[in-house]
Amino acid sequence: MKHRHAIMMTCIYVTLGVGAVITFLPFLWMFTSSFRTNAGFFDTYFLPVDADENIAWSQLTFTHYHKLLFELGFGRAILNSIFLSSVTSVIATLFAAMAGYALARFQFRGRGFALFVVLAMLIVPAPLLLAPTYQLMYDLGLIDTYHALILPAAAPAFGVFLFRQATLSSVPSQLLEAARIDGCGEFRIFFTMALPLLRPMIGAFLLITFLWSWNNFIGPQVMLQDVDRFPLAVAVGNLKGLYYQDYGLQMAGTLISILPVMLLFLMLQRDFISGLTAGAVKG
Amino acid sequence: MRETLTHMAEQPDNPPRHGPNGTATTSDPDAELGAGWISAATALSPGAWVILALAVLSTALILILPGRQEATIEMWTFTRAHALMYEPEIERWNEEHAEAGADAHILILNAPALQQRMLAGFLADTPVADLIEAERKIAGQAFAGPLDQVGFVDLTDWLRDEGLLDDINPPSFGPWTSRGRIFGLPHDVHPVMLCYRADIVEAAGIDVSLIETWSDFERIMAPLMEDRDGDGEADHRLLALQEGYGDQIELLTLQAGGRYFDEQGVPSINSPEIARVLAQITMWCTGPNPIAAHAPDFQAAGNQVKKRGEVVAWFAPDWMCYLIRSEIPELHGKLKLMPLPAWDPGGRRTSVWGGTMLGISRSSPDREQALALAQRLYLSEELAETLYRTGDIITPIRSHWDNPMYDEPDPFYSGQRKGRMYIDLAPEVPSRTNSPYFSIAVLRVQDASIQLAEWARGASEPPGRAALEERAMVLLNDAQAAVMRHLNRNVFLAPEQEDAE
Repeated sequence: MKHRHAIMMTCIYVTLGVGAVITFLPFLWMFTSSFRTNAGFFDTYFLPVDADENIAWSQLTFTHYHKLLFELGFGRAILNSIFLSSVTSVIATLFAAMAGYALARFQFRGRGFALFVVLAMLIVPAPLLLAPTYQLMYDLGLIDTYHALILPAAAPAFGVFLFRQATLSSVPSQLLEAARIDGCGEFRIFFTMALPLLRPMIGAFLLITFLWSWNNFIGPQVMLQDVDRFPLAVAVGNLKGLYYQDYGLQMAGTLISILPVMLLFLMLQRDFISGLTAGAVKG
Repeated sequence: MRETLTHMAEQPDNPPRHGPNGTATTSDPDAELGAGWISAATALSPGAWVILALAVLSTALILILPGRQEATIEMWTFTRAHALMYEPEIERWNEEHAEAGADAHILILNAPALQQRMLAGFLADTPVADLIEAERKIAGQAFAGPLDQVGFVDLTDWLRDEGLLDDINPPSFGPWTSRGRIFGLPHDVHPVMLCYRADIVEAAGIDVSLIETWSDFERIMAPLMEDRDGDGEADHRLLALQEGYGDQIELLTLQAGGRYFDEQGVPSINSPEIARVLAQITMWCTGPNPIAAHAPDFQAAGNQVKKRGEVVAWFAPDWMCYLIRSEIPELHGKLKLMPLPAWDPGGRRTSVWGGTMLGISRSSPDREQALALAQRLYLSEELAETLYRTGDIITPIRSHWDNPMYDEPDPFYSGQRKGRMYIDLAPEVPSRTNSPYFSIAVLRVQDASIQLAEWARGASEPPGRAALEERAMVLLNDAQAAVMRHLNRNVFLAPEQEDAE
């Protein structure tokens, strides 16, 4: 029995190991490619080799990173990405939690309709909203401002529904009633009682919105005009030429663009997973 | 946490007391308030605190760091190579015009973004640059409306007054001309030659100077197609070509004397010239021993095919020289260029592929300054030199063609004086037209070419030239009708409307 278990575990680990290697290889290729020039770029897979089939260290270069950070303004793009993603995720999480909580625990006229609108918005594809959003931002005079990206994402329908469900399952009505009897105000109830109970969902949703905003390409591409406001997604997109491609530069740019968010995900993965599985074990 | 809070709410020895309005309050409000907010703080995990901290820090930095001041002249381009070339000149311009507060600035946008922003600016008055550098297919989109409402400034009269209509190679104006008016300064000529593997061709004892027509090319190069290594396949294919590659079909069409639109913007797709080109492409790409090989340009796979010598020759406009040089450096000294074989004896030995212009937005608040900067960037000999030295592209300004730089042998291309070779072909470059429906026409002709090749592949016997041309004409009639349907929806460009006027 023990022997059988060991074989099974070995099979599992080998399978997972192979999967991990397959997943890791493109990242390794991207990493090594970011130090290569276009000369002989596709001759070898990872590192350039010389005539003796040894690694040609002399053909590796840091110029792509230097160019990105000191000539092409990627530092500003990193700051823009961090700003847009973090502010959007904090605001979206706060408002989604408030709206979800209200829909779950307050009785008010039009609640059913509001919920219907939220659910209806879930089935509208985001690209469909791009043109009307642009029109709205244009009319408000917000084109080429950060607001044009933050405001439309401030209360996502998905988040509102997610927090409504989380509130229904995690925040007991009796607790809220008890607080009200004790004289607690509604905002205080929300911030001091409901939010702590929604903690797993907050962590997960913060990360979801942060990643969504970080990877958002089409929104900034459409709403922003000034290169000093471009986030990384757009800055990397602009590295692509119409005919000529500087592959090393593109790979370096891509690596820079995924590294911060990868680190953040590693830090927050526990929140993310606990948030996603929070409802799974509840009766 | 949930249990803790529930417990707090149900604490029997923490009895509520009644406040003045009869509501229940806690025994120590201040302490309770503090405890409440501490519990609120625990709503955030360490990771969430990190995001919150990032939000605060990045907001502070965004507020502190100064944004760029609005440029007095904004220029958009779609390629970094051009931007790098212009930036030093723009800096010099800003220094020279510092007293007038000049702050010209260049912004790189990828091509689709540039097209969308340009059209939004022209059609809906959203912010748009003063100067827009646009590739041919992008610029054509701007010509959809009435002439006096095209988003670019009409430069025709100015070009005539400045003598530039004569100084600039005339075919270079074609793609930026709509209904006889010119809306952009041309950036290039882009004559096309045939780049071939001289090491392979000369080792086989082939003399390319004997090649005058495409028929000669097939006949004289045929020995390279033999299967000497005995693997059952031709050792080399003669030409990098795909029946479904719109750019290649167009350049061969132009060389053969065809074009997709006439000067008035009316489609001329169902022409005998295009039928002939499609039939020839099908013959090259199909059959038991096709001469064409799939070696896509701008892609690693195509570069490998060229490097391994599996294909001997490919179309090479001037800009392609730079791509090959930078992407396949192993071919240093192994390549040569030759004029394109003609379709008929004495026929045209070149074609044209690609093109870029610089246009001035009609909405620019200072068109004169924008035009002055445009002149500086596009007409100066210094930038013409940079254009050739950094991108192998020859300038369309004929007065600069005497520059000895163009006569320098290029070691990469086996010591050929390739600049001069391209310049010698420049006057022969076919003139082109443009239309907002150009991209649709390219796709329709491409579809026709693919269908023709499929039809030939499905035939029991390889069809002859006459049968292919006949079939091609049927397919091109459909393509013509499809483009006409698009055109007829445009009240400003539809031929019927013009007739009615």
